[in-house]
Amino acid sequence: MAAALTAELQNRSLTERLLEVRNLRTIFPVEDGEVKAVDGISFHLDAGETLGIVGESGSGKSVTALSIMRLLQSPGRIASGEILFRGRDLTKLPLSEMEGIRGEEIAMIFQDPMTSMNPVYKVGWQVGEPLQLHRNMHRGAAHREAVKMLGRVGIPDPAQRARMYPHEFSGGMRQRAMIAMALTTGPPLLIADEPTTALDVTIQAQILELLREINKTFGTATILITHNLGVVAGMCERVLVMYAGRIVEEGSADEVFMNPRHPYTWSLLQSIPRLNADNDAELKTIAGQPPDLSNLPTGCAFHPRCPFAMEKCVRDDPELTSFGGMHRAACWMTAAGGDMDSATKGRRPS
Amino acid sequence: MAQTIESAGPGGTRPIGQGRPYYGFWRQSWRSFRANRIGMISAAILIFFMFIALIAPLISHFVTHFTATAQDLNNTFASPSHQHLLGSDELGRDTLTRLVYGARASLGIGFLTVAIALTIGVSVGLVASYFGGIVDDLLMRLVDVVLATPAIFLYILMAILFRPSPIAFPFIIASVSWAPLARLVRAEGLTLRSREFMLATQSIGAGHARLILRHLLPNSIPLVIVAASLRLGQVILIEAALDYLGLGVQPPTPTWGNMLSNAEIYFSHSVWLVVLPGIAIFLTVIATNLLGNALRDVFDPWQSKH
Repeated sequence: MAAALTAELQNRSLTERLLEVRNLRTIFPVEDGEVKAVDGISFHLDAGETLGIVGESGSGKSVTALSIMRLLQSPGRIASGEILFRGRDLTKLPLSEMEGIRGEEIAMIFQDPMTSMNPVYKVGWQVGEPLQLHRNMHRGAAHREAVKMLGRVGIPDPAQRARMYPHEFSGGMRQRAMIAMALTTGPPLLIADEPTTALDVTIQAQILELLREINKTFGTATILITHNLGVVAGMCERVLVMYAGRIVEEGSADEVFMNPRHPYTWSLLQSIPRLNADNDAELKTIAGQPPDLSNLPTGCAFHPRCPFAMEKCVRDDPELTSFGGMHRAACWMTAAGGDMDSATKGRRPS
Repeated sequence: MAQTIESAGPGGTRPIGQGRPYYGFWRQSWRSFRANRIGMISAAILIFFMFIALIAPLISHFVTHFTATAQDLNNTFASPSHQHLLGSDELGRDTLTRLVYGARASLGIGFLTVAIALTIGVSVGLVASYFGGIVDDLLMRLVDVVLATPAIFLYILMAILFRPSPIAFPFIIASVSWAPLARLVRAEGLTLRSREFMLATQSIGAGHARLILRHLLPNSIPLVIVAASLRLGQVILIEAALDYLGLGVQPPTPTWGNMLSNAEIYFSHSVWLVVLPGIAIFLTVIATNLLGNALRDVFDPWQSKH
């Protein structure tokens, strides 16, 4: 069944874009103006594809996910743009139809598995809840499906476990249960918002492996939101790098990680501790603070923290320019042919 | 994996890697409640009064052999005796029978009032906390208005307007006493609303009604139970006070409140006529309050540890 589903999804991907976000702007009104949490981003996702969205806190990656799900907390709202999912614009759907899509066609898993399950219900009931909602399944039938799904996501003795409460589960098992809950309806799109951030490292690896397997066996297209570049590199075919509500660089994982074209991506990669680095070398960091989204710097939003900033960067906002293949970045310096590695060689003694 | 799961009997599932059997929330609460002596005694007192109230006609028929309103003018102010186990009043009516029927009125009105007040208070509190914004503002201003109303005058007005029957009574008291409950539940709802599981549940496609009824409500039930038991004592006191003022259930139907007010003029020579309904009210109210405190300790063990 899984193979047939995969084949079907692969065929569809040739003809159909699963998700296409066009010029999405999401704002949060504040007393003196508005916070542009997401400021005009466009991207797409094909069926069965894995896309990583990276960026630091406040870069707009979670807001992007919540915008797609239409789960923005008031007063946040989508100011403009389109979110085309299988051809329908989610931003214009009535709430009742959106509720039909949530959990049925787009599922989401959250950062903290400790708090994302309802403490008063047994795990099996919760995992089966999407089936009760979308398939009119009765409690018993939904529970049986939930047990099956718990087994598939690697929970030992699922029948026993399904009768336990969330607080009897460890963090890793809860995240597995959340993944099971997301998958019971077999949605074509899974949005994972920092799914491993709250877990310890060995469990992180297991959960990522599980997400990879799910993507392969069920053909579930996955958007993986994280601030961990290693997670994206190991898991995603394509990557978006976000900064201050914009996409500053995008491309295949190889293109972006092997040959970053935006100083922000480059700095993020530089700031990863390396085993083969000089023992005495100081760990590089990105100077300064993420920008205030209600009061962005002029020109390129990254220029106050950018080691390569030029006069032009203060004045003008760069557009995404192509660097061949799928690779695009928004930077004046690299667009003009500048090379970040050689530019820093003389300056930084490390 | 080297872990084993021991299948458990009716006691529940044994968690992996631990010897202690795990019990569900309610079962665990019950175990901890059973260990709470004051709570158990209070519950026993309340259950005793409820039982008495339920079997009042049987007691009247088989034990006292009097009805609550049967007069015996040859035998007024009788002391406790074989014939009148707890004596008789100024019309020769049997005090025990009247006390037993009084329990019906007090507890019946009390429970019904609390049920109505809970229904309104919990609905308003949950809806206000769930939707927030203007809905919350409007509902909470309504609560403010109700709380600012001097309740006793409202009761007097209602009593004059409607000459309350025992059935109308609960509605009158509940029309005021839902407001503090609404506030309490709203506060709890606001905390729950911001928990991630609410967002997660929304993300699987649950609508407003389901989120409120299936997810917010069950999580606030412990709080509601505690609030309800504390409220029950207050309602019984209010009812007794209104009866005492002659605004409540009208004689000859016996209630603890009107028995008390009826007896006060005979206090100098028939003390028990005052003392007995007084003890009944006192015991019931203190039992509900202590039960409420015990339940709070059971449901929220952190709060009781000072």
